[in-house]
Parts: sequence; structure tokens; C-alpha cells
Amino acid sequence: MTQGKLCNKRPVNTEEELHSLLADKGGKSYYEEMQDLDVDASEIASILEKTLKSRMRTWLEICTHCGLCADSCFFFLANNRDPEQVPSFKIQSTLGKLYRRKGGVDNEFMRMAMDTAWSKCTCCNRCGLYCPFGIDMGVMFSYLRGICFSQGFVPWELKIGSGMHRIYRAQMDITTEDWVDTCRWMVEEHEDEWPGLTIPIDKPDVDIMYTVNAREPKHYPEDLAEAAILFHIAGENWTVPSIGWEETSLAMFAGDWEGARLQVESVYEAMRRLNPGRMVVTECGHAYRATVIEGPYWAGLASGKTPVETFHYVEWVVEALRNGKLKIDPSRKIKEPVTYQDSCNYVRNGGLGDIAREIMGYIAEDFREMSPCREHNFCCGGGGGLNGIGRYRRERNIGLKVKRDQILATGAKLVITPCHNCWDAVRDLEEVYRIGIRWSFLKPILLSMVEIPHHLLPKE
Amino acid sequence: MFGKVLFATTATPACDNAAHVAFNIAEKYHSELLIFHVLGLPSRGFSPFVRDARTGEEEYYDQDYIQWVEEELKNTYAEQLARYPNARIMTMAGTPHTEILRLARKEDVDFIVMGAHSRQERTGALGYRQAGSNMQRVARSARCPVLIVNRPCTTCLWYFSNIIFGTDFSRASYSAFLFASKLAREIGSRLYIFHALDLSAMHAGKIFSQEEIEDQIKAAKEKIHRIYLSQMQDYDNVEMEIWEGVPYMEILKYCREKNGDLIVMAHHTREIDPEEALLGSTVEQVVLRASCPVASVNRPDKIQEQRKTR
Ligand code: SF4
Ligand code: SF4
Ligand code: SF4
Repeated sequence: MTQGKLCNKRPVNTEEELHSLLADKGGKSYYEEMQDLDVDASEIASILEKTLKSRMRTWLEICTHCGLCADSCFFFLANNRDPEQVPSFKIQSTLGKLYRRKGGVDNEFMRMAMDTAWSKCTCCNRCGLYCPFGIDMGVMFSYLRGICFSQGFVPWELKIGSGMHRIYRAQMDITTEDWVDTCRWMVEEHEDEWPGLTIPIDKPDVDIMYTVNAREPKHYPEDLAEAAILFHIAGENWTVPSIGWEETSLAMFAGDWEGARLQVESVYEAMRRLNPGRMVVTECGHAYRATVIEGPYWAGLASGKTPVETFHYVEWVVEALRNGKLKIDPSRKIKEPVTYQDSCNYVRNGGLGDIAREIMGYIAEDFREMSPCREHNFCCGGGGGLNGIGRYRRERNIGLKVKRDQILATGAKLVITPCHNCWDAVRDLEEVYRIGIRWSFLKPILLSMVEIPHHLLPKE
Repeated sequence: MFGKVLFATTATPACDNAAHVAFNIAEKYHSELLIFHVLGLPSRGFSPFVRDARTGEEEYYDQDYIQWVEEELKNTYAEQLARYPNARIMTMAGTPHTEILRLARKEDVDFIVMGAHSRQERTGALGYRQAGSNMQRVARSARCPVLIVNRPCTTCLWYFSNIIFGTDFSRASYSAFLFASKLAREIGSRLYIFHALDLSAMHAGKIFSQEEIEDQIKAAKEKIHRIYLSQMQDYDNVEMEIWEGVPYMEILKYCREKNGDLIVMAHHTREIDPEEALLGSTVEQVVLRASCPVASVNRPDKIQEQRKTR
């Protein structure tokens, strides 16, 4: 059985393995090795047997190939209505075949399945809304990714990403010390301006346990500072855990279910340890999906719910605006036209569409909806891990056209993107197509217009 | 005050003037010099891509790439390094201001030298209402003085003979004063304490009478005596002046008149109105237009510390 040194079915569990993968520029040898990677048909058959739920089997069987789902997929629209981009075609030619052939496929098939699962679907679940039978290709592609991963057919970056989670319980190499120190640093940097500002670490029994996306401590620590300042202004009793602070899950994108379970359990463990009233997660879409929607199943929680109630950041924001914990200075509302990117992961999977509109009502004078919007909104174009995969850069850039045109049609030059992935995709969209837009998370916008209670101002 | 100096460079000719000054300081004060370059924005989600800050090309962030950039840095500063080898070259991928501040904190540096850096990045990755260029953000948040060198500086063998200290009487300005006065004493240069009555606020409709303006000038004079001049003790190479107008214009004009070769001022955190972020803060305006370097000082940490040990 051929297994490569870098490309193989073993997940990455040690720093050594991680570093040798990282040293392979762009995954060059990794993808070369993939050409010779063996496929274990009986293993796939047994995985299908055990895990392909009856719902998905039914879906694969009852699809009438009516094509009603075609227009729902932004890849189909962005690729000149290429029939090979019809969701049902994409899934039938991959997972459908695997299932019908009981895993009896070869290496070439698996590479095609990988390319399809990661470059032709972002698991945005939009097609499921349009199929008369509710067949959701996004769900099935997520599942297919798991099978590909089990055989070692996974894009290089995501093999690395899932390894990061396994080793660091974070999508990037951030140790507990790094994390705690970043929190301290942010307090030091802002306490002059905000006397009394703290980022309490591991404080038990508070109202809110706040968790983040590893990119924040790594590259955008001011996001953490902004969150702290907004909690401070709102007078919240809150904390961050020293361990279990990372909400995201590249392991989920990779189809590494075991890695995803390990990751989400670290967060649940923090909830149990600190016993907060609830958890609030930063402005990230897939983190919400991983921890709140999928996580309980990975972790085998019978309730199907997280150990404590979990809020997406937008839910906290709307609550704080409603009960006046955050008060907006009306004169500082956004005056220019502004639009809002609904993140698939919490608009379709979490139903948070109304909340977004309510927030926009508080902060913007000229809010323009994209069309379509809410649960019908298109994926930003970079979801499901696609933003980060070098091999599919071209496909990703083509897909961005749909979001580009949606934004252009609103006439707004400012896009609110309360999701890290969407934020990246919109930025890249600007980089690729230069349509002259800006984009932002909610936190800096809120901070620029919130009224600051007098007692919180520094005394000069 | 200059024990450990961090020179933050874009590794492009834009920073040559800053490099010149950084090496000069290091030589004169036998400083430990850190030459730090932020490779580029980690622009692709979580992935190991970096958009090279110098070329704008996308690169894989790996050992090869890092070594290549570090070699290039060594070449860029080969001449200076030959004269002053007590320097460490360091790189990191990330958002420049974040990584500069992170390193300054980690290494507990006493002084940062940087160029004005390009303002390009503002329209891009920083997005909306994320005020300021890298330079502004470093100047605003650093715990040590930050020297920004935008133009070739003629006197720059680190013998500043005319130091212009601009104040708005804030707490941060006091830190700037500590630095300016200490430096003036050390070098024996003339210190000019300057305040501009901010008339730009009056566009809002309020018109001050000449009398009111004069009262304010008088009050400011008293303040300068009370807060600053009283601290100068025997050092009498000091002058003060109060003008009225738009602060950054006035300080620039004053600096010209006095042949200032260094401007020292504070950079306030709240100063930047996000709506006007594109215009930048007073410090940025001064930096971009002044013909001499500008030191931004907001906190007393790195100045007072030294005091105690003396
Ligand atoms: S709409 Fe549903 S039934 Fe029709 S082709 Fe698509 S998945 Fe199949
Ligand atoms: S889940 Fe989204 S990206 Fe995937 S096939 Fe359906 S519509 Fe297309
Ligand atoms: S990136 Fe944002 S919009 Fe795109 S799939 Fe993820 S959550 Fe949805």
C-alpha cells in the first residue's frame, strides 16, 4: 500500500510532521505524492456503511436530476452555467458514485472528488433551499470531505490546518502563553485610554465567556481589544478561558471529524470549568457553525446543544443595543450607503437574519440590502476553507464574481462583514476586481459611534 | 534612552533616511539595534501565503522565503552593518503595526525609528474606520518614543541643535516634554517650547474676539511657565512661543523659522476622528510635511525609567 511521506492518510499529530509539511513549498511534493496514494476501497465501504446516514442515502437515490438547484449555486452562475457546476451533478458524480460503487474507486477518482469537494462547493447550503426535496449538497459535500480525508485526499493547507488544531487546539500555532500574553498586551495598550479596562482570564461564574478566532490574537489583536472595550462600555461581567478559547475549526473544513471533535471539546471543557452564564463567540461564521451547530454532535452530547447557551457576536450586539448597554450617538451613524454580508453559517444555519437588520437600523442611515439576502444570500465565495487553498485560487476568484455583482448592485461602497471568512473574501474580491469598496467587522464601527459613559473616560 | 533601538523598515528605499538615522543613533549611543521588517500581510485567510510588502507578489511563507528576505536586508544595509555590526535582523509576517508593537513590547525596546511608510495599506486591508497608517498606529500605541524620519535629514549626525517641542498641555504632552528636555540637555541643544491656539475648532461657528484670544494666550503662557519652564532648573537654552491657527500648520511654520531639526510632540489616542481618518492626525500631518524628523512620545515609561537609574 503506497503512502507518501507527506501525503498519507495519517492525520498530523506532532509538530515535527507539521513542520515537514510546512516546509514543502505550496504542497508541491505533497500533491506529487498524492498521485500514487493508494485507495482502500474496503475501508471506504465500511465507512459508508457505518456513517452514511439514511437521510443522505435517500437524497442520493431520490434526486430526479430536475436541475432546479442549478441556479442556486453561485459556482454555476459564475462559471457561465456550466452543467458540471450543477449541485446535483457535482454530488452524484462524486459521493453518488462512491456510494453506488461501494468505495470501489481509484486514485484518479479520489483526486477528482477532492477537487470537486473543495473547489466546487463551499458547503454554503444554499442549494438545499431550492431543491423541492430539500436535498442539501452542502451537507453531503461536508460528508464527502470526511471520506476524502480518511484516505489522505485533502488539500495541503487543510491537512496543515487540521494538524494545527490537533497540536495546538487552534488553527494556528498559538500556545496558551502566547494567547494569555496577547490579552495582557492589549490591556496594556489601551488602559490609559480606558481606565479600568481588563481582559479577565479564567474567571469563573461570570455572565459571559468570550471566545475568538485564532487569527485575532495572531494577526488582528486589536479585534480582541475592541471586544474588551465594548464589553467594558456595556458593563459586562466577562472572561476568556486560558485554554479552550479558539472557536474555529479548520478541521471541519478538512473533513477531519476527529480533529474537529478534539477542538470543540476543548471549548466545552472551558465552559464546564468556568461555568459562565453563556458564551459569546467573535464575529466568525464557521466558528459558530462548528461550535454551536455541529459541535455537540461531534462531541456526542445527547442534548444536541452546547454545555452553556452560545451566542454569536451579533446576538450579543443586538441585545446590548436593545437594552441600552450600548448607546449609539445618532449623529455618528454611518451616513453613506452601506450593505451587509449575511454569513451562510449563521444566516442559513443559525437563522440570525433579523438580528442583522435590527443592528443595521441602529448604526446606519442608508442601509442597502443585497439581492438576494438573508437566508437566500449567496456565499461570499470563499467559504468552506476555499479562501485558504492555493491549488484552487483560480476557481475561487471566478466564484467571487457573484458577490462582486451583488455588492455593485447595491451602490454601497462599504460592506459590513461580521465573519472572518467573508471579510477575507470581500477583501480579496477588491484585490482581484478593484471595485473600490471597503469592508469592516462590526466592532470598529460600533466603537466609532457608541456613547461613552462619563465615568469611563480618563481623567486628565 | 537609546539602550535598545528598534528600527522598523519596509526594506525599501522609502526607509533609507530612517535607516541612516537609526544607525547613527546606534553608533553614537552604542545601542543594541534591532532591524525589523514585517514581511507582508498574511493575506489569505489562515493559509501560509504572504503578500510581500516590497514587491506586492504573493509568496509562500516558509523558511526559504524568510532566508531570502533576510539576505536581502543584509545587502540593503550592508554598508551600515559593516560599520556597526551590533545589529540583529528580524522578520515576521503580519500586519506591520501590530508586529512592530508586539516586538517592541517583547524586547522592551527604548526607542523606535521608522520611516513614514506608505499610506497605501490604509485603503486596503485596514478597511473602514480603522484609522491610520502603520506609522500613526505605532506612534499612538508605543510605550517608548517613536522617531519618524520622512525626509533626508541634513543635520543628522544626531546633533540636533534646535529641538521644537509642541504641546497641547495634555498628559501625553508632558511625556513628550520629558523626552525633549532630556535630549536637549544631553546634546546641549536649544529647546523651543511651542503651543498653538487651535483656531480650527472655530469653524464650527464660534468667533473669538481679539481680547478672548489674548486671554487664552496669556493663560497658555502661564501654563508653559508652570508646567515646563519650572522643570528646566539651570538649563536656560530655552525659548517659548505661542501662536494661533491650525496646530499642524503653525508648528511647521514655527519649525521653519527656528531652523528646527527635530520636532517632538505627543500623539493622542482619541485625536483621530474616524470620519477624518483620511486626513490623519496632527502628528501625521506634521510628519508628512516637516523637513526634519518627528519624535512622537505619549508615555513616560521609557524616559523616566532611565531617570531613576541615573
Ligand atoms: S433540485 Fe434536488 S432533485 Fe432536482 S437536481 Fe437538484 S438535488 Fe436533484
Ligand atoms: S452548498 Fe453551496 S456551493 Fe455547494 S453546491 Fe450547494 S449551493 Fe453550491
Ligand atoms: S465565508 Fe462567510 S459567507 Fe462564505 S460560507 Fe463562510 S460564513 Fe458563509
